[in-house]
Amino acid sequence: MKVAIIGAGVMGLSTAYYLSKSGIDVTVFEQKYLLYGASGRNSGGITPMIDREELIPFALESMKLYDTLPSEVDFNFLLRKEGYVKLASSERDAETLKEEVWMQNRFGVSSRIMTPEDVRDFIPDFNPDSAVLASYCRESGVIFPWPVVWGLAKGCRKHGAEIKTQSRVERIETNGSKLIVYSNGEKYRFDFVVNSAGAWSNEISKMVGIELSNRIIKEEVCVTESIKPYINPYIYDISSGVYVTQTARGEIIGGITGMEVDKIDTSSTIEFAIRYAKRVVQIIPKLKGLAMLRQWAGVYDEGRDGLPVIGFTEVEGFVQANGLGKHRGMVIAPALGKELARLIEKGENPSIKKFNPERL
Amino acid sequence: MRLESHPIVDFKRGKEVTIYFNGQPVKAYEGETIAAALYAAGVRVFSRSFRFHRPRGFFCAIGKCSQCMMEVDGVPNIRTCKVYVRDGMQIRTQNAKPDAENDYFAIIDKLIDRFFPHGSHYKKFNSPRLLREFMTKQMRKMAGFGNVPRNVPDVNTEYEVMEADVAVIGGGPGGLSAAIHAAKYGAKVVLLDENNYLGGQLIKQTHRFFGSGRHKAGTRGIRIAEILEEELMQYDNVDIRKETKVFGIYGMDVAGVQNNSKLLRVKARKIVIATGAYERTLIFENNDLPGVYGAGGVQTLMNVFGIKPGNKGLIVGSGNVGLILTYQLLQAGVDVAAIVEAMPRIGGYFVHAAKVRRLGVPIYTRHTIVKAFGEKKVEGAVIAQLDERWNVVEGSEREIECDFICVAVGLSPAHELLYHVGAEMKFVPELGGMVPLRTRFNETSVKGVYVAGDVAGIEEATAAIMEGRIAGIHSAITLGYGGDEAKKELDEAVKDLEEFRAGPFGERIVCGLEKCVLESEVML
Ligand SMILES: Cc1cc2nc3c(=O)[nH]c(=O)nc-3n(C[C@H](O)[C@H](O)[C@H](O)COP(=O)(O)OP(=O)(O)OC[C@H]3O[C@@H](n4cnc5c(N)ncnc54)[C@H](O)[C@@H]3O)c2cc1C
Ligand SMILES: Cc1cc2nc3c(=O)[nH]c(=O)nc-3n(C[C@H](O)[C@H](O)[C@H](O)COP(=O)(O)OP(=O)(O)OC[C@H]3O[C@@H](n4cnc5c(N)ncnc54)[C@H](O)[C@@H]3O)c2cc1C
Ligand code: FES
Repeated sequence: MKVAIIGAGVMGLSTAYYLSKSGIDVTVFEQKYLLYGASGRNSGGITPMIDREELIPFALESMKLYDTLPSEVDFNFLLRKEGYVKLASSERDAETLKEEVWMQNRFGVSSRIMTPEDVRDFIPDFNPDSAVLASYCRESGVIFPWPVVWGLAKGCRKHGAEIKTQSRVERIETNGSKLIVYSNGEKYRFDFVVNSAGAWSNEISKMVGIELSNRIIKEEVCVTESIKPYINPYIYDISSGVYVTQTARGEIIGGITGMEVDKIDTSSTIEFAIRYAKRVVQIIPKLKGLAMLRQWAGVYDEGRDGLPVIGFTEVEGFVQANGLGKHRGMVIAPALGKELARLIEKGENPSIKKFNPERL
Repeated sequence: MRLESHPIVDFKRGKEVTIYFNGQPVKAYEGETIAAALYAAGVRVFSRSFRFHRPRGFFCAIGKCSQCMMEVDGVPNIRTCKVYVRDGMQIRTQNAKPDAENDYFAIIDKLIDRFFPHGSHYKKFNSPRLLREFMTKQMRKMAGFGNVPRNVPDVNTEYEVMEADVAVIGGGPGGLSAAIHAAKYGAKVVLLDENNYLGGQLIKQTHRFFGSGRHKAGTRGIRIAEILEEELMQYDNVDIRKETKVFGIYGMDVAGVQNNSKLLRVKARKIVIATGAYERTLIFENNDLPGVYGAGGVQTLMNVFGIKPGNKGLIVGSGNVGLILTYQLLQAGVDVAAIVEAMPRIGGYFVHAAKVRRLGVPIYTRHTIVKAFGEKKVEGAVIAQLDERWNVVEGSEREIECDFICVAVGLSPAHELLYHVGAEMKFVPELGGMVPLRTRFNETSVKGVYVAGDVAGIEEATAAIMEGRIAGIHSAITLGYGGDEAKKELDEAVKDLEEFRAGPFGERIVCGLEKCVLESEVML
């Protein structure tokens, strides 16, 4: 069995890793370089404290994988498990937090509600007046996304997978039970083609005549200059969409959850910088003196109903693995990749049935 | 270390104030930057390097190298070469325990290679899991550079949006000239510069200018800056914003921070980028030791603040900058041990070289610096001869006694903002590195965005002024200003510059320019 993976993001690479680990012949195509997609541009917040119950089991499973994968592939993801705080700054959002926590607890996530005053136990310089309510989960943290991608790629290669960078897939043709992939003037034949092209997944689907219409979301982020350990947990304000934490290098990283756009666009805007800075200094006032060092943007995709799109399609051999959604792709991808690998290998996998493309 | 008398510059020092460095009082004068005042007080180790805790000192003096970052009044990562002293200021070094001078962690530099070859921390201690988690925690503790913030800075922040016909970024000769010539024909101009003075590099140049007779040759650089500024001041359609650092261009919006407190957004119809250049450095052992400086850094210390960089220097590079700097050092009463030059002949003008030689400074061609030595600051250097294939001739090494080393090996264009606008760039060695493609009128591949001066290619102040003139007039004309008179001056300006470059010194530049002209010319 020969499988092509389109897109070397965390979704494509975790699928490729588990497939190649089972001895399957895998080729990964990446249009640019490793880290070009959202997987190289995100802020690395990982938590099972997410808002969709369908995804929580995968988040919990991924949290476990993030503990074991680094030894397996011999690469340190620089995971720091020092908690995840969600803030609500309106009464209505406070209700949402409470409902979320109730739901999360039912699915085995040890999140809890706390007062803004309590947040100072983890972030001494937090301004409790900046929120009306908070939720918290200890079993969460921050990962450095680059070594996740590099490490998965290393694992893939160890198991014999080939990763072709600077290799954009330009065309896909069907030929009996085979799919023919065109890239850099060459053609390759595969039994399965996995579309894990993130925000580009709609384009890839069109190549085989499928109208996918995932939402494309653009998200902007920035970092300050590096300082000593200052913010340990990941903080996400659901009311403004602003999030902030500290990277492994010590930069204060933060952004605002993304907005739907018509087409792929990774330009930076000054409006973002202003909105972000205004809110983040309310949350942690002492950040006011830090200089912004860099800002950038990334794009990712979300299934129309807010859930990922994963599974076989009406085109034989063409498999979707995209639409991971807002602020949780890094959280759910390793587990979803593992389950998808099983689906391809065995032909069925009930655990991810609810993400089947045909539901749309 | 402060100069009391100087043959050319008259240092007017401000009021005496006291600042506190790691708790100790230090005397300073208003108008000095923190870095200059500390330097005058004998401080050499300004910070410790990010990972290996190597001592780092003053280097560029223009806010580009980040080696002088310290905590100032509870705010981390302040570039102390860009901030002026205030009485009672509290300054602390960073990334060191107890302070940068006596950092315990300096031991890492000695041990690191044994445990983390080439510094990679991803591939070590990954199994078992508990060991990895423990080591990751330790790495986290060591990570980060600046001190954690202690205070909320006491400044009122503002946001100002303004509109301009032409936004000029950089107030060196190139930018000043562009602003003058756009304003002259009626365009509404905003000129932004991060310094609290105009003139850019000129401000350090106490020598009489070389170059063509018609173009202010014979006048001292500092005086040229004044002349240009006076000319600009005649126009009231110019808004000058000093101490305004432009950090980004978003579409045609130029964004800067004024006086560290105001976010300024200029909605511009045309943009002239005239941000000058950075100093290059050279690879040799211990090239990061405090006491290894850029030529511009030394000039700033000496000619702007009247502070001696040391007692005896070694100059690397015999271009005009290296030669003039040597002369300026001697003028200030600082000894120069030697000038080394890797090429078989001296790079700068003969007159400058002759002057320096007359004063007894040896110039060693076909020589290079092999290493600097010293524990926390330069205590000497080793130079050696080079053979035809640029390899060190064995046995030719010799020690030079010096307490600072000045690297004057050229400049590279400060082109970040060109990448922001997405201008098409090309590597052109004759022009000093990555430069933008441009039309005959200095417009880049992005319509409405111009370049002038060193950022367009390393040349000299005269050429910067002439390029600024062209960019300024062209931007005004394309906005509908100036009429026939402007068109006539534009033709003249283009011709002038061509003539200026026609001489033997312009050959290299002309050759470089041929590689980066844009064919698509805007017809007027
Ligand atoms: C600013 C930002 C912050 C975020 N923060 C978080 C967070 O804190 N926590 C979290 O869990 N998630 C976060 N996310 C979301 C997360 O990054 C994404 O959900 C996840 O990385 C998506 O992975 P992916 O593999 O699906 O897509 P990608 O990583 O985008 O990979 C897709 C790849 O496909 C390649 N490709 C596209 N077209 C082709 C072609 N024709 N041929 C070959 N290759 C092609 C692309 O170049 C790309 O590399 C954030 C995202 C952004 C942008
Ligand atoms: C030692 C020495 C001797 C020299 N001697 C001569 C000579 O004799 N004759 C001669 O013709 N030339 C001489 N030159 C060269 C000449 O000084 C330069 O070519 C000239 O200054 C270049 O002008 P410019 O306007 O391009 O840049 P600069 O003079 O470098 O000015 C750039 C300005 O832009 C500002 N700036 C940069 N980035 C930003 C930003 N992001 N936001 C706001 N402001 C910004 C800088 O602070 C600076 O003020 C000499 C140079 C040196 C170093
Ligand atoms: S940044 Fe201050 S010396 Fe270079």
